[in-house]
Amino acid sequence: MDYVLTLMPSMLKGWTVTLQIFFIVLIFALPLGVIMGIARLSTFKPLAWFMELYVWLFRGTPLLLQLLFWYFGLMAVGLRLEREMAVYVAFVLNYAAYLAEIFRSGIQSIDKGQYEAADVLGLNRKQTMSQIVLPQVFKRVMPPIGNEVINLVKDTALVYIIAMSELSRAARIHAVRDENLIPFAIAAVFYLLMTAIVQQFFKWLESKLDYYR
Amino acid sequence: MAMLQATDIHKKFGHLKVLKGVSLQVEKGEVIAIIGPSGSGKSTLLRCLNRLERIDQGCIEIESETMAKNGPKGWAVYSDEKDIERMRRKMGMVFQNFNLFPHKSVLENLMLAPVLVNGMGKTEAEKIARELLDKVGLSFKADNYPFELSGGQQQRVAIARALTLNPSIMCFDEPTSALDPELTGEVLHVMRDLALEHMTMIVVTHEIGFAREVANRVIFMDDGLIVEQGTAEEVLLNPTQERTKSFLGTVLMAR
Ligand SMILES: Nc1ncnc2c1ncn2[C@@H]1O[C@H](COP(=O)(O)OP(=O)(O)O)[C@@H](O)[C@H]1O
Ligand SMILES: [Mg+2]
Repeated sequence: MDYVLTLMPSMLKGWTVTLQIFFIVLIFALPLGVIMGIARLSTFKPLAWFMELYVWLFRGTPLLLQLLFWYFGLMAVGLRLEREMAVYVAFVLNYAAYLAEIFRSGIQSIDKGQYEAADVLGLNRKQTMSQIVLPQVFKRVMPPIGNEVINLVKDTALVYIIAMSELSRAARIHAVRDENLIPFAIAAVFYLLMTAIVQQFFKWLESKLDYYR
Repeated sequence: MAMLQATDIHKKFGHLKVLKGVSLQVEKGEVIAIIGPSGSGKSTLLRCLNRLERIDQGCIEIESETMAKNGPKGWAVYSDEKDIERMRRKMGMVFQNFNLFPHKSVLENLMLAPVLVNGMGKTEAEKIARELLDKVGLSFKADNYPFELSGGQQQRVAIARALTLNPSIMCFDEPTSALDPELTGEVLHVMRDLALEHMTMIVVTHEIGFAREVANRVIFMDDGLIVEQGTAEEVLLNPTQERTKSFLGTVLMAR
């Protein structure tokens, strides 16, 4: 027990880094995903094609490679991104691609009749999107978004590759130094705690949105 | 003055000619029933009238204002978007599947257009919404959500919602076709009340009884054309065209 307590300061420090990555990525990736999902369905074809290419690139390659690209890849051509900046760029662009696909399919799942009803009532495109379509999309995409957010909790561990001291790296350092696995077990408990909170949050959100069908 | 005048409307979907030269004039206060077999172009005609679909050729005028007319190349040319939107506001539309907004309460469904489109204050919009709900007999459902209503009630809400912008013409596309038979009566009742108030109405319907009782004029469409039109008595009881006769035969047989 004493041993566990001695680990805590650095583990907690790693944990705050993990949390910071988690929240910053979410704050930027969610709205970007909505915008990209809408752009993917644009009637302006070049934009729609560009988004399709984008989604293919960023979903089609491992996040780990993308992380290496934004940090070491750019460094190699003389464009140095700060370690943290590279992490944010890599994660936001990657998660936005996944979220864009979720929002795209959500938007496409809305019945054509909803658009037509809004149209004959005189709502313009912006009002139709913001008042009629997106609120219904948000309800439908909540379960897959919840999955992505849980994935994000765990994916934050990938940043060890560019030597950023988040939770899993803190655990690894101790495990190697002290030659035992307890630090990993503690890290696992932290991750489980986070995913449990995310899961409960989405459960609450879905029940909040359950007032209509 | 004609409320609505459509002349020689042509409409294709790809290579499929759906309207092959349809002309229709609607006078103020008239109730017109459009009947005809499935796929004959009835819905498309209604949808063209309020520009849910664009016509290829022909002319559409709403209260003597031109929405679209043939240009020098023979294809229909539409007026300014702003003018069209104003003309479209004069037409209410009721769909077969109601198309209520499921995430908004009944009252919110009705308040949406007055507030967002006409810039009306919430208090006034709510007052109008409640009056219209009363008119369709659903005041007690104001705070419910559409999924909590029966199909017939949903369609009555949809009718009330279409009335919120105070349209001069109401278009109905098979308003009772998605309903269980025991629920059609309440919807037809609301429509009958509207007709009694001299609302101008165009109703695509399979309800021959309703057409006979309420419509001033019945139009029989088949294969993208108006085959026969006249008073309900003429078209429904003494049709002159073979196709009308055989259609009425199958419809009446089906009940
Ligand atoms: N958006 C569309 N795209 C292609 N074909 C369509 C479309 N809408 C209708 N049609 C076709 O046009 C014809 C007439 O349809 P419709 O006007 O709905 O007939 P009705 O309402 O009389 O049953 C049908 O053959 C239908 O398949
Ligand atoms: Mg139809």
